[in-house]
Amino acid sequence: MTSTIPKLPQDMPVTSPRYVGKEVKRIEDPGLVTGRTEFIDNLKLPGMAHAAILRTPHPHARIIRVDASAAEQLPGVVAVLTGEDIKRWCNVGATSPEGWGSTPMAVEKVRFVGEPVAAVAAISRYVAEDALELIEVEYELLEAVTNPEEAQAPNAPKLFEHNASNVILDRNYTWGDVDRVFAEADHVYTEKFRWNRVGANPMETSGCVCQWDVVNNSLTCYGSYQTPGFIALGRAASLNLPSNRVKVVAHPHGGSFGGKGGPRGTDIAALLSRKADGKPVKYIEDRVEYLLAGAGQSWDRYYQASLAVKADGTLVGLKVNLVDDQGAGAEGYGTISAAKPLAAFTGCYTIEAAQYDLKLVATNRAPTYPYRGYGPPPHNFVLESMVDIAARDLGMDAAQIRRMNYIAPDQFPYTIPSGNEYDSGRYEVVLDKVIAMANYREMRELQVKARTEGRLLGIGIVNTVEPGVFDWNAYSTVGVPGVGVPEGVKVSIDILGQITVTVGFALEGQGQYTLAAQLVADYFGVEMESVRVTYASTDIAPPHFGHGGSRLGVAISGAIMGACNKIEEKFRLVSAALMQCEPEQIELMDGHLRVKGMPGAEMHIAQVAGTMLGRSDLLPPGMEPCPEASFVWTAPDRNEPDEQGRCKSYLTAANACHIAMVEVDRDTGVTDVLKYFIVDDCGTRLNPATVEGQIQGGVAQGVGAVLYEEYVYAADGQPLVSLFSDYLLPGIHEVPMTEKGALETPSPVTPLGAKGCGEGAIHTTPATIMCAINDAIHPLGIQITETPASPNRLWQLLQEVR
Amino acid sequence: MTALQHVTVTVNGITYERSVDPRLSLVDFLRHELHLTGTHVGCEHGVCGACTIIKDGMAVRSCLLLAVQSDGTNLQTVEGLRNAETGELHPIQQAFIDEHGLQCGFCTPGFLMSTLELLADNPSPTDQEIKDALDGNLCRCTGYQSIIKSVRLAAAKTSGGKLAGTHGSA
Ligand code: FES
Ligand code: FES
Repeated sequence: MTSTIPKLPQDMPVTSPRYVGKEVKRIEDPGLVTGRTEFIDNLKLPGMAHAAILRTPHPHARIIRVDASAAEQLPGVVAVLTGEDIKRWCNVGATSPEGWGSTPMAVEKVRFVGEPVAAVAAISRYVAEDALELIEVEYELLEAVTNPEEAQAPNAPKLFEHNASNVILDRNYTWGDVDRVFAEADHVYTEKFRWNRVGANPMETSGCVCQWDVVNNSLTCYGSYQTPGFIALGRAASLNLPSNRVKVVAHPHGGSFGGKGGPRGTDIAALLSRKADGKPVKYIEDRVEYLLAGAGQSWDRYYQASLAVKADGTLVGLKVNLVDDQGAGAEGYGTISAAKPLAAFTGCYTIEAAQYDLKLVATNRAPTYPYRGYGPPPHNFVLESMVDIAARDLGMDAAQIRRMNYIAPDQFPYTIPSGNEYDSGRYEVVLDKVIAMANYREMRELQVKARTEGRLLGIGIVNTVEPGVFDWNAYSTVGVPGVGVPEGVKVSIDILGQITVTVGFALEGQGQYTLAAQLVADYFGVEMESVRVTYASTDIAPPHFGHGGSRLGVAISGAIMGACNKIEEKFRLVSAALMQCEPEQIELMDGHLRVKGMPGAEMHIAQVAGTMLGRSDLLPPGMEPCPEASFVWTAPDRNEPDEQGRCKSYLTAANACHIAMVEVDRDTGVTDVLKYFIVDDCGTRLNPATVEGQIQGGVAQGVGAVLYEEYVYAADGQPLVSLFSDYLLPGIHEVPMTEKGALETPSPVTPLGAKGCGEGAIHTTPATIMCAINDAIHPLGIQITETPASPNRLWQLLQEVR
Repeated sequence: MTALQHVTVTVNGITYERSVDPRLSLVDFLRHELHLTGTHVGCEHGVCGACTIIKDGMAVRSCLLLAVQSDGTNLQTVEGLRNAETGELHPIQQAFIDEHGLQCGFCTPGFLMSTLELLADNPSPTDQEIKDALDGNLCRCTGYQSIIKSVRLAAAKTSGGKLAGTHGSA
């Protein structure tokens, strides 16, 4: 497909874009398909040592003694790190609420299986792992708490003894007159839900090479970092370095999805390097480490929700009570994930009042970390399941109850009870489109027929709002202060007219380098081939954040438009001087600076750049010989939240409606996804092919979360998942090949009308499939309210009604 | 330390002789001894397929083999797909680019090598056959739909003619 760019030529000086809005081939790909792209494990530095980490097998224990003397003696070992070094050199990480974080390696006690207790750097990973076997650790075992209920019991063992209990955060948000709305409603539906732990599991685990400059007391970390600037700042805090003495060099990485943010490995490799007198140290987390204790487990949640509904199906109030098992101490920005649903708490609906009770609890499971979508995938599963429960009780069709409760197009900008403002949307058009695509009526007929044959066929129809372009203000009330997330670029044109875009983030898979090249090429009317996109490490990059929060596509567009605009202004002055007219008479269009109304009086941008760099004598007085500009974008008009967390947080509100048809096998509990349809409205699609890829990838992860994936823990706190044969990622047979349609309601508040679009499908797919399964099995008088709806779990449920 | 063992192996048409630790995995040997870092490691336990290479004409998981087991064999890795003389990409590589068959690209070398084996055996596979051939390769980014399209396109571009193997291979 091709997208139309709204507001041309005001937003971009081009009569007809050649690249933006087109399914452009990615500039990232030649390096990737040939195996040439430099992922972190490809990097070798002279004298580099290799690290391995000793991890505790106990969920909760006091460390009595660590004896690493034999390991130190092993030939080939260059450094051994233990809790003693940590105590001397390291602070508690800054990513958790005050009093709840840990150091990268345990010092006095361990709080989850897989927590590092020692580490070795040696001439090879093989030798480093040999050395681990020589380290003796003596523990005093402590009773473990393995779920929030145990953790909150009176006299429960405490993970952090200096705290009053294992409750990290307990707060209530009330928006509107919830009591009245619930009292006046004709129906109040209440249900409990359980979302079990899942996680990001990018194909590449995290890795780094760290080098401590022991002479100048500074640190360089090369690695697979999603948010390089943030990682640099965090290392300065945890490793006691001035912030300008940590340099982070992000390498292209094999996916992240939020699940590569864990800094423990980096801190450990950095301190090993420090101990090895500055030798570079590589640490590549292996998959077993990732699954056991990497920064890759998310959303371990217990919900109770109530939905207040009028007799005619009008949704009026929503209460959600969430108890979130954060694992050992909320180090993975845990509060943020629980607070994100505030940005789209009531989904697509005009629900007038809502309440959110939020309790974050520490247990002896691995700490939870971000995963694509952050909080909303489980939240939407709960909200959309509640809507279906109401529809079933009222005898309404699932599409009809949704349709009648939508925010209407003329109500935008629309402020939801939890405070965020949705910019735009046409929910009913999206619904109609997907209903037509899916032939929904025929699906229902098929279902009736299947039921008469005793088959369990179900249809899920679910819509969500995807908050796009995250802002820190969404999280201020849970302890992450700040408004605004800068994203900067530098655009430079050289003396021959070739263009370089410098960004502060590395390749991760979403095609943002291609997008940068598309935008700049169209802005200056040049071929994409003459635009190069290059990465700058944290010490030289403009202020940046990088990937996260369905934000980067919009943010990078804003930054590039801003930088190009600044160059255009300079070029206008220079070309006016050269063509002897007033700057106001000059316009940039299709790569040329033209004198308005004088056909033929024009200069190509390369001529202007060349003149600036090579003929200072011709420049207007005071003009710098600098055909380049930096621009740092942040979302406009964001504000500080009130005490109930209400603010304009996420800038854009994309919308999607998914329809799935599933069949549940009564004998085996296996769910087969027969058909899957999607219409997604994420505004202008700057590269429709990559947007489609984001959607399909999100579907795959959603299918995994709702049908297969689960971090299982035994009752004693032992994780039962340590291999891909235990943690079941969906393969090519499991992921439905979806039929997709698009609607484009351009955002009125973003550059070129694009909305954040990286997370919408994982927001929607789990709920869609869960609703479809319940639609299939409810005639039997059962429903499933726990994810994943694995064959085993469904089979047990089906057995009850045999 | 165990005595080193001698290995002679041909990779993408070039013969290498090395003395290796018997416990060295084949993928570590390729990546860290021969500096052929295009073959990736996603799990090291045989599930993800990122490390897939062709050994004597068959797709294998190089994380599950030891370097010493490759002695006397003929290997093909992703580095051998592109024609180094002309600079031309292999049709399978080009098809993955054309159909957006990758995002982060970390799984891609494995998918390319599995596809190479598939199309060598079956130049015009059905979708079901494509799925069956690739179900040992995990991708966390794409949701596979564009991968299937890529393989279809590669098949269409090469069907009729015999699909070229890796460059430099026998
Ligand atoms: S790395 Fe070999 S199968 Fe995963
Ligand atoms: S493209 Fe990222 S894992 Fe396949």
